[in-house]
Amino acid sequence: MKQEIFLGNGAIALGLMEAGCQVMTSYPGTPSSEILPEAIRLVKSEGLNTYVEWSTNEKVALDNAFAAAISGKRAACCMKQVGLNVAADTLMSAVYMGTVGGLVIISCDDPGPHSSQTEQDTRFMARLAKIPILDPATPEEARAMASLAMDLSEEFRIPFILRPAIRVCHARQNLSWDTLENNTRKASFEKDPGRWAATPRFRFILHGELNKKLETIGERFSTLSHINYHNLDEGKRYQLGIIAGGVPFAAINDILKDEKRDDIPLLKLGAPYPLPKRLTDEFMGACEKVLVLEETDTLIEYLLGDNRKVLGRISGHVPSQGELLPEVIFDCLGKILEELKLEPFTRKENYGIGQLVQSLELPIRKPTLCAGCPHRASFFTIRKTRPKAIFTSDIGCYTLGLNLGAVDTVLDMGAAITMASGFYHAYKQDGVEQPVVATIGDSTFYHSGTAGLLNAVYNDARFILVILDNLITAMTGMQPTPGIGIRADGSKGKAIPLERVVKGCGIDFIEEVDPYDTKAMGALMKQAIQYVESPDGGIAVIIARHPCVIAYGAEAVPERIPVEVTDDCTECNFCHERFECPALYKDEDLGRTSINQALCVQCGVCLQVCPTGAIVRIAD
Amino acid sequence: MENVNMILCGLGGQGILFMTKIFARAALDKGLETLGAETHGMAQRGGSVVSHLKLGTASSSLVREQTAGFLLALEENEAYRNLPFLAPGGSLYVNAEENEFPRKDVIPYMEKQGIVYHAFPAQKTAMALGSPMSTNLALMGFFAAAEDEPFTHDELRQTIINVSPDRFRENNLKVFDAGFGS
Repeated sequence: MKQEIFLGNGAIALGLMEAGCQVMTSYPGTPSSEILPEAIRLVKSEGLNTYVEWSTNEKVALDNAFAAAISGKRAACCMKQVGLNVAADTLMSAVYMGTVGGLVIISCDDPGPHSSQTEQDTRFMARLAKIPILDPATPEEARAMASLAMDLSEEFRIPFILRPAIRVCHARQNLSWDTLENNTRKASFEKDPGRWAATPRFRFILHGELNKKLETIGERFSTLSHINYHNLDEGKRYQLGIIAGGVPFAAINDILKDEKRDDIPLLKLGAPYPLPKRLTDEFMGACEKVLVLEETDTLIEYLLGDNRKVLGRISGHVPSQGELLPEVIFDCLGKILEELKLEPFTRKENYGIGQLVQSLELPIRKPTLCAGCPHRASFFTIRKTRPKAIFTSDIGCYTLGLNLGAVDTVLDMGAAITMASGFYHAYKQDGVEQPVVATIGDSTFYHSGTAGLLNAVYNDARFILVILDNLITAMTGMQPTPGIGIRADGSKGKAIPLERVVKGCGIDFIEEVDPYDTKAMGALMKQAIQYVESPDGGIAVIIARHPCVIAYGAEAVPERIPVEVTDDCTECNFCHERFECPALYKDEDLGRTSINQALCVQCGVCLQVCPTGAIVRIAD
Repeated sequence: MENVNMILCGLGGQGILFMTKIFARAALDKGLETLGAETHGMAQRGGSVVSHLKLGTASSSLVREQTAGFLLALEENEAYRNLPFLAPGGSLYVNAEENEFPRKDVIPYMEKQGIVYHAFPAQKTAMALGSPMSTNLALMGFFAAAEDEPFTHDELRQTIINVSPDRFRENNLKVFDAGFGS
């Protein structure tokens, strides 16, 4: 047995490999991104034959995994919660059809949210699609549940969802583990058009089958005593009980132990849907009031369906947005204990520390693009050359272009393009030619850019699309893209250049530029504006290509240009507002801007930015 | 040993995750259960970063406010921001000039809570050794000099040897030792 500290996402990968997962697909997204790389690490160190891929998007990933599962193999598909929206089409249909081998969908939630557009609750997607779901509290449990989900999926021939929240994904825990073995099961797809290509009439039958499966699985969930359990004393009545699942279970479990409150019984629901009714009835029957702690929405509250007894979000006892941090749960429970006149918590005096910290007016640390980031240079030029445009943008590091006044909208993956055409037509209808500049990253373009671009070309929209190609999926931790043709495991795949895809979408104006050269990009922007505005023009696509400085290091800055600021600096603030490089700071001692040489990567782009020429190259 | 809760904080890029890794690994080598929570994603781009670490048996990876025995801050403002996590009688280690820390407004709170604070110019120490990115190791060295629990100096130093990539090992030890010896 080996002892090792695993990231939660690594624990999930370990559980899947222990279950003999043969096919794994994913599209990166915080907090799910490390599951596939961690699986690849195990595949390599243990000599496993698992097939792994970064798919181009979550729907593509799930379709691929589903095919493997209905050919009898064990498959898994990993994504973040909003990725599951992209895969929803597959999800709804796949559960009717069922599987042959195991299929586990791992959809990672982001209460907070820390790195997502929404706090949506995957468990509701599971309920909507009628897919059973497991909700782990710790990395160790996530590992066990990944494996359990695979077994149950195969037993009941239905996909399972594992829903770890960010505090499981990005937790670290020591685990002991043993050698992993290959699953040698062979693919054998059996044709059965009534199931695999079912028409609506057969779908009705499949829906009936699904409902039966769910009933049986709900009964099974009442017997899974290691993930669904309570600590009621038989025959005893309680004034207050707590039902908790996922990460809030971990927090309340610690709190009840720390505060030595064994007078409050706890029902853990590690498998909340289909609801293990026998267990919840038992618990509800023994308690006058029941506090429900779950993230991030009200699935358990809805399924329990007892508004008189249940305290939670619906009754206003638990906040309806944000993470249920241990101190939040402590406060909620503390207030309920007082309300029900039960023994209160012994509270430590905190001398108003929350307010004290507020009063300190600590700097708000908004995330910024890294020093040397090529996106910063692109945004600077875009804003300079097309100041009156509506700037539609997208999901990735470059969302941070909003700090530079060069991002006005961020809706969802691919919406830079679809919203650009939407804005164009909305104004055009009134006879106004509204300039629009869309920015989208390379990986996001491959994910969901093409359908929108085809649509925009077909319907004669006019805008400039700048594809910010940094040759990597940066925000989520440097995964390769189809553009560079390196696959998930580092092997060589076929590179599909952006230019080729863009051309295939019907674009006639495609130009590449290095955004570090702001003059060249500015000149190109002017050409693009002319093209967009001319009667026989169209959509202009500029590919602003420069490697990510984090992923490519020295290679990304081939010519090192050390810079300093002279006393010509008039503190006009232009560089801070329009360029916002973390290496540029206001030096209070000197009363002007200075360079933090520890952060500067010597890209030299700021030389092209300062209006008074106060940033100069340091002579060799 | 009783459970020990730690909070490690600073700014994205300061090596909070590496520091977490060293403490977690040192705990593992001592046979302690470890559970912790990290910041990934967008916040890492220069934002506030905080790591929670629990040594001993626990379910939740998050440290509850007022229950941390130790707070290690690589940046002064982040120390103030995370002050609510410290338990009464807890210890604060911060990268700051000794005569400039803390701000007057927090002194009464720290006194009432019995919080012991230690300021040390870790970044300056690391910079002087030509390793501006190793503020984390300088502060760990300083921490090791003052505390024998939950880790001794030797345990932490050995873990740094084990965990550091080859090309950084010598340098990491140099900075750690400088923090320890100061």
